[in-house]
Amino acid sequence: MTTTERPDLSWLDEVTMADLERNPYATYERLRAEAPLAYVPVLGSYVASTEEICREIATSPDFEAVITPAGGRTFGHPAVIGVNGDVHADLRTMIEPALQPAEVDRWIDDLVRPIARRYLEQFEADGQAELVAQFCEPVSVRSLGDLLGLQDVESDKLREWFAKLNRSFTNAAMTEDGEFANPEGFVEGDEAKAEIRSIVDPLIDKWIDHPDDSAISHWLHDGMPPGRTRDREYIYPTIYVYLLGAMQEPGHGMASTLVGLFSRPEQLEEVVDDPALVPRAVAEGVRWTSPIWSATARISTKPVTVAGVDLPEGTPVMMSYGSANHDTGRYDAPTTYDLHRPPLPHLAFGAGNHACAGIYFANHTMRIALEELFEAIPNLERDTREGVEFWGWGFRGPTSLHVTWEV
Amino acid sequence: MTFAVTVGGRSVECSEDQALLDACLRAGVWMPNSCNQGTCGTCKLHVVSGEVDHGSSPAETLSDDERGSGMALACQARPLGDVELRQQGTSAARTAHPLRDMVATVREVSGIARDTRRILLGLNEPLTFDAGQYVELVVPGSGERRQYSLANTADEDKVLELHVKLVPGGVATHGWLFDGLAEGDEVDISGPLGDFHLPPESEDDGGPMVLIGGGTGLAPLVGIVRTALRRHPEREVVLYHGVRGEEELYDGDRLTELAGQYPNFRSVPVLSHEPAEGYREGFPTDAFVEDVATARGWTGWLCGPPAMVEAGVKAFKRRRMAPRNIHREKFTPADA
Repeated sequence: MTTTERPDLSWLDEVTMADLERNPYATYERLRAEAPLAYVPVLGSYVASTEEICREIATSPDFEAVITPAGGRTFGHPAVIGVNGDVHADLRTMIEPALQPAEVDRWIDDLVRPIARRYLEQFEADGQAELVAQFCEPVSVRSLGDLLGLQDVESDKLREWFAKLNRSFTNAAMTEDGEFANPEGFVEGDEAKAEIRSIVDPLIDKWIDHPDDSAISHWLHDGMPPGRTRDREYIYPTIYVYLLGAMQEPGHGMASTLVGLFSRPEQLEEVVDDPALVPRAVAEGVRWTSPIWSATARISTKPVTVAGVDLPEGTPVMMSYGSANHDTGRYDAPTTYDLHRPPLPHLAFGAGNHACAGIYFANHTMRIALEELFEAIPNLERDTREGVEFWGWGFRGPTSLHVTWEV
Repeated sequence: MTFAVTVGGRSVECSEDQALLDACLRAGVWMPNSCNQGTCGTCKLHVVSGEVDHGSSPAETLSDDERGSGMALACQARPLGDVELRQQGTSAARTAHPLRDMVATVREVSGIARDTRRILLGLNEPLTFDAGQYVELVVPGSGERRQYSLANTADEDKVLELHVKLVPGGVATHGWLFDGLAEGDEVDISGPLGDFHLPPESEDDGGPMVLIGGGTGLAPLVGIVRTALRRHPEREVVLYHGVRGEEELYDGDRLTELAGQYPNFRSVPVLSHEPAEGYREGFPTDAFVEDVATARGWTGWLCGPPAMVEAGVKAFKRRRMAPRNIHREKFTPADA
């Protein structure tokens, strides 16, 4: 295709944020077919929707990271997902030591397994549960919360924070003039951040004088000259990255994997019977419903042509990994959860030098949680009296998952 | 150049400029992977034999120590020849008892129930095995091989005990073991085989067990249950023997004697098709569900026809036994 034969994309004018949040797949399926790189008016941005174009841009030397406007409004600067060069290198150097595989292997089992068991003990005799709120999200936030040094913050508070930050971060609708269409949508994110600061500031004060082994304490001290620490204003945007995505997404990934498995009862049974299949089930779960569906972006560093579209220097492009992972050019029947599909690499964790730093931690958190769930309740069934709804365009997962079992 | 990459017993072709992960995934051999650019470490594995080029594996993800100890990143490493890989978390193969080909001598052939024989085979040299494993018999004249579980405990290593059910028209049973086999005959056998056995004694915590055998599926359970009780005389053990009718029951005295020796062992015969006074009726897997309110923390052992084994897995899970504690030996009549 050349730029002169552009298809008519006027249908995109009708797409609303509510449509995308309820179910983005139809819109993105059409984008993949008609314009894998297209300007989407409601988002006020170009969007990459196929596997090929997402991968090309994510790994291209002609693009670098940029945070989405609503993301930047929520997190502030410099958040690790939206910076480049020395600042990006420093922030990755700050967060990566705790996330290296050899390091994660050292403690992940002792961290996550007792947490998963503790939450299971609270409901395993009940014969029914809502797994998103009672298991997936609590295990996710408690594991990371304890790692960060937030042991004293209740799991429900951490869940409330990520939900508020999520809605603020993905409050992406723009007016034609390039203004936020719903500025009031950032209020709850601002409230959450104020509360976070009121709780984390005193902890930072403590860690500055009394470093310990918590991740945030390391962020303050690691690599700094003696007696100096990183400025808290410099690390807060990345703390918010953690308190949103890293807290929320392992829970989304677990819940989506479970919903996928419930859609294939024979595959659920296989995984329950053979825990060695859990990692594969999770890999397919996050391909099937990618938790970070469309939350990151890149910006061109010079004029560039991608997918036949000429982009001037400084053009942001939103990366729709959730769409790329449903690309029929790469996957047969991508809307179907299938444990046994040809195991091609997916883009759920992104690509390039901004690929998720927490891949190893997240995968193992999800694995251990599901191992413990199936170990404790091998006779798990979806409660078919209740439906399952997914929500989210930036971040996506089931809003609830009711299950029953014989006790 | 193309090399053979072996992992988990499967072999795939990998060209010299192809990443190990890519070759495996394309051949449908799954291994954990995420970033596919060497940064996340999810695909780290052991190179058991052969050499690889680590390519652009970053030092932060794969340290020099790890390289030195034979680790590699599957998404980055290219083969320099044939290589054998082992995925992380999978233990190196346990020391297995060596598989041997032997000539055994028939010591005894006895009818013990309807269409059921006990065959004792004498060995010149003791065989090392775990209770619950099986041996293969070569059917004379046909070259066919048939599998039979051992009812022995590991110390009963010079006379092997097999339980054999007649398969009408079967090459091994109808044409040989039930027709013509006599004391003193020589039989070609191979063994031991199979993974249906207790964990090593050091890993056996003495927890409660349920065993369900269908017909001659009782055989390996006779060896396993005696081994388990000897290790932990106080442990709770329930053994269900499911058959069609009373005439197919056997080894009742042997199990009753065991119950006399071990206070927490029970043996429960269950008749599925021909009810008789004094016996439970129905399927043994249903009897288990009726008897045991919760099997959390139990281990389960199933040996019998596939339908019984599948029903057993469901029954155990229904009573919330952890699936990793469910052991199964499917007993398929290849002999028809």
